[in-house]
Order: sequence, then C-alpha cells, then structure tokens
Amino acid sequence: MVKKTPTKKVLLSGNEAIAYGAYEAGLSVACAYPGTPSTEILETLARFSQIDAQWSVNEKVAFEVAVAAAISGKRSLFACKHVGLNVAMDPLMTSSYTGISAGFVIVVCDDPGMHSSQNEQDTRWVSIYSKLPMLEPSSPAEAKDFIKEAFKISEKFDTPVLFRMTTRVSHTKEDMALGRREVPKQPPFQRNIPKYVMVPGNARVRHVFVEKRLEKLKALAERTRLNKIESGSKKLGFITSSVAYQYVREVYPDASYLKLGMTYPFCDEKIRKFAKSVGKLYVIEELDPFLEEHVKTLGIKATAKDPSFRTGELDSTCISAVIKGKAKREKKMATRKPRLCPGCPHWSTFAALKKLDLYVAGDIGCYTLACLPPMSSLHSCLCMGAGVTFNEGWHKGAPRKKIVGVIGDSTFVHSGITGLINSAYNKAKGVILILDNSTTAMTGGQQHPATGLTIRNEPTKKLILEDLCRSCGADNVDVIDPKNLAEFTELVKKRVGEDALSVIISRHPCKLLKR
Amino acid sequence: MKKKVYSITFGGIGGQGILKASEICAWAALYAGFHVKKSEVHGMAQRGGSVESHVRFGRNVSSPLISVGGADFLVCFHHDEHERLKSFLANEEGDLIEYLDKTKDVIDDPRCLNTCLVGVLSTKLPIKQDCWIKAIETVFKKKVVAINKKVFLNGRKMVQS
Repeated sequence: MVKKTPTKKVLLSGNEAIAYGAYEAGLSVACAYPGTPSTEILETLARFSQIDAQWSVNEKVAFEVAVAAAISGKRSLFACKHVGLNVAMDPLMTSSYTGISAGFVIVVCDDPGMHSSQNEQDTRWVSIYSKLPMLEPSSPAEAKDFIKEAFKISEKFDTPVLFRMTTRVSHTKEDMALGRREVPKQPPFQRNIPKYVMVPGNARVRHVFVEKRLEKLKALAERTRLNKIESGSKKLGFITSSVAYQYVREVYPDASYLKLGMTYPFCDEKIRKFAKSVGKLYVIEELDPFLEEHVKTLGIKATAKDPSFRTGELDSTCISAVIKGKAKREKKMATRKPRLCPGCPHWSTFAALKKLDLYVAGDIGCYTLACLPPMSSLHSCLCMGAGVTFNEGWHKGAPRKKIVGVIGDSTFVHSGITGLINSAYNKAKGVILILDNSTTAMTGGQQHPATGLTIRNEPTKKLILEDLCRSCGADNVDVIDPKNLAEFTELVKKRVGEDALSVIISRHPCKLLKR
Repeated sequence: MKKKVYSITFGGIGGQGILKASEICAWAALYAGFHVKKSEVHGMAQRGGSVESHVRFGRNVSSPLISVGGADFLVCFHHDEHERLKSFLANEEGDLIEYLDKTKDVIDDPRCLNTCLVGVLSTKLPIKQDCWIKAIETVFKKKVVAINKKVFLNGRKMVQS
C-alpha cells in the first residue's frame, strides 16, 4: 500500500490512480487479463481486501464476469490493453444493449508508439461503433477524478462506460490526494427478461433504447465539466484531448482550449461555440483523425496534423512541427533492443528449433523476442493463440515443410486451447510447443490457471496442461525440460518427423520468478 | 512570466535502477510541495533494453515528457545511453555524466549507483535534504533504507567537497 504523506498526497501512476479512484467510488468487482500498459490496474486493485479482484483466463471471460457482476448489483470494472478489447468485443457490443444495474466501467489502455504491442489501433472508434460513451483523462490525477464520474454516468444512463487511457497517461506518475471509500446503495438483483435476454424481439426494443440513450449522452457531453473551455488568447484555439492536451499546453500556455474529457458522443454545440470564439483553430490528437474528421463534418474550418503524424506518439518537441502542418521526420536514435534475460529457458528452446531449421509459428510473450538476431527463429506473431492455429494453417500451404507452433503457458490458457481442439477435430498434424515458464512473464510475472495461484497468490485449483492437451485430442503429449538441450532437440526432431498431432510441454520456470 | 519547471532526464539500461532513481526524485519534489509528473516506460524495456525516465516539477507541470533541449539535468547510468540522450540537455552544465565514473570510488555495491547519482543531483535542485531523506524512506524497503541514506549522502558530498 502507498505510504501517506502528512499532506495526504501520494505519487501514483495513471493505472494506480484508476485503482484508487475506483476503490473510493465503491468498486466491488474487477477482472482483467494482464497486458502492457494496463496490468498495474488489477495488481493495485488486488491490494484492497474489499474488492473481489481476479486474473481472468482471457479478456472475453473477464468482461463477461465483470458486466454480470454489475448486472447483479455490484459496481464493477474490466481493464485491458487495446488489443485485449478486441477479444472482448463480442460481449461488449451487446452489453451496450442490455445496459447494467450497478455501474460498469471498461478501462482500455491504448499504446501509441507500440512500446509493447503488436499494433497501434485507436480505440476511440469503438465508442462510435458500440454507441457507448467514452471518457479520456489527460493525466493520472484526472484519471482518478474521471473514474468516479464514469461510474455515475454508467448508472445514470444505464450504460457501460468506455474509459480510454494511453501508455503515457497509464505510466506517468503524478502527485494527488487520496479520499475515502464510499459504497453506494446496492440495487436489487432482479430477473428482467426483456432487458437481459437478447433474443431478436427484445434486442429490437433495446436498440431503440440505445439510440435514445445516445441522444441523452449527447446532451450530457454539452453540459459536462469534463468538456472544458479554457479561455486564453483568442487568436489561437485548440480542440484536443488525452495527453496531447498536455503537450500543446506546454508549448502554447496562453492559447484557448476546448479540452475534451468526454470524447464521445461529440459535444457539437460546444465545438461550434469554441470555433467561433477563436481566430485560428487547430485540432490536435494522437493517432487517428477521430476528432479532426468530426469537426470537419460540422463544416468547421480547422487545421490538423499531417497524416504522417498518425503513427506513433506525439510529444512537446514535435508540437511546433505539427502546428505548421509539416510531415513527420523520423528521429533515428539507436536504442538498446530488449532481449531474453540471461539464463532464460527460451534460449535453449530456440537453440534447438534453430538447429533443426524449422518454420516456427509464434505467439505473444517474451519468446516473441526469438525473432530478433542472433536467433531469428520465430516466423510469425499475429495475436494471442495464433501459434497453435498458424501451425494448422501453414501445413495447408506447405504440407512438406517442417513446421511447429510455439505458445506460452499463459497464452495457451488464454486462447490456445480452442485452436488445439480445432486441430484435433480437423485431423491436422504438427507439433505444438507449450513454452511453460509457469508465469505470465512478459507483463512482469502474473499468475494464471496453470500456476495454481490466484492474483493474491492464494492456492487454487491448478490446471494440468498435459491432461488438458490429451483431452483436446493431441496424439502425443511430452513434458521435458529444454535445458536438457540434446534430449530436447532429439524429441522435437522425432515428433516433427511423425504423422501426428503432438504437444511438447517445454517446462522450465522463468528466471525472474519469485517463489 | 512562466513559472520555472525543473526537468530531469534519467537514462540507462534495464536493471540499473533508473526508475527507482526517478521515483526518489519525484517523491522528494512532492514532499517539497511541488506539482510533479514523472514519465516512464514499462514492458519490453525491462528486458535489458534502453530505459529512460523523465521527472518534471514546479508550480504547474503540463507535459509529462521533456522536450529535446529542455532538460535542466541529465543523469546517465551508462555511457552508451549518454550519447543518445544528451540532445535532451538545455545546456552542458546540466550534464552529470562526469560523476558516473566517480561514483565507483564511493560505492561498493553497484546496486547503489542510482541512489549515489541522485545524491549528486540533489545538490543542484531547490529541494531540502529532509525531503530527499523522506523520499528514500518512502521508496525503499525498510532493510535497505539505511544503506541508501548513506550512499545518498556520499553522493552529495562528491559535489560539495
């Protein structure tokens, strides 16, 4: 727990601020699967004994447990990284129709600049697609304040609320004051078939509700303090949001601002009013032209960044170039690349795969680093679970090649199991290596079902991977320590040569594991 | 006139305690009553890659990141990273690289490099010694507070002597 100072001020990251803010707002249930830059939200929440916090198997499961808890009457939160939200999109889209009972907030952390991600998708578009309101804090202290507002909006408008962070807001630390926890009165748990059973007849009625709700949320966007006009020099005006606001403020402290803390639905009247009040108008945002395109559809003349700035983060250094409409100039500062730790068991595993000259379908985890020299022995990385399914797919186009799929233990539980069942069911062949280091290493070492420990390191039912793989339909399941390199290499060679679907569990604990 | 915001860039490679050093600095500024923002990157950077952290404090801080040419001080833990990061410096007097090799004379344990360099930095900033000490007590586990206080004070002496 963070130590309190005499002034009750503490230094918290954006992610910790969300946890403390949600705790103070009476949060009861929180679910997530680890993913940079969102992981610390659940790690922090798990320190509060009043909160039922869990690492879920994956984001879809986490979302469903959390939204159901909200429907049952408890304020709930689901947290994920941007690509994690893709996994949860199915329940998300229809939860917009069902609405909730107690407040439900979906925290999603985008990763502009891809500090630790496979793409740079801009989650703001999800708000339009799902017809859900979206809040966007520009700093950690704001995140703590806004999360409370998010729960209120959720309950008042019967809606899940999207809460978008970026790496820079999540991982910046700022001083802020702590407050007291207040738990609102719990609404009763009720059977409500028209609201919670989304068969077509009911869903048609709920879609009408969703459209009406959107109109009410538009009215809220016009009056909320989250969308704030800050009057300065009338010559220069900026419409901006998230951390981009802070960068522009740094460079133009005296200009006028329309700072959007609620980015969807759009506050059209406020935007029009602000646009009229300033001489030269700019729209400044990171990644996609989300605000820019909307402002332009209102017939407002505004200047925005050159399309070359749609990739990567902004910062205060580049703001003057952005304002001048210049194209992005890539700074080529050589940075030291990340690599597998000394003594990491993946070194042995990939030494064998390289020696056998295999085509390796990869997945998401520390072992993805095996694509880098000197190993250069991992040949795909698309999404969680694709190490298993790429093995199957690749065999279709290249049946004579020596192909294996690799996937981590946590990733296998997250979304590899269904792929393995699919391979067995469809009579696919090949070798799946589960690189079992007994933790979720890439994100800093979180527990998962196959470690047998909960988020609070309490013992729980342990998933036995070898039993599971046999049940899924693997013809052979071997468990071996990759540090026995000769034996390990021999086993992989043998299995690759067979006409079978085999799983090799390459088991050796992560070097960073604290036990 | 714009109120002064102090900007310090910390840089090195994963595992050198860069984030801890910036954490001490941020807490010290907090205890001194300043508005503080500290930026850092987690994730892949932990795997031995380049790590940098920015600390900014003053009456009101906007950007959590320091602009190129905007750092009052640069605290580097590795000579290679210094080459990359020196463009952040506003002027050369803020470069504390000369102390990197000198720290070897005053510390026995390389794990204390971060606290020693923070000691050096502390002499250049408008934050009183007791705020630094409180910050050290806040960020370190109890059993290593004493050693870190000692190293911090030795770092201060390197500049003052």
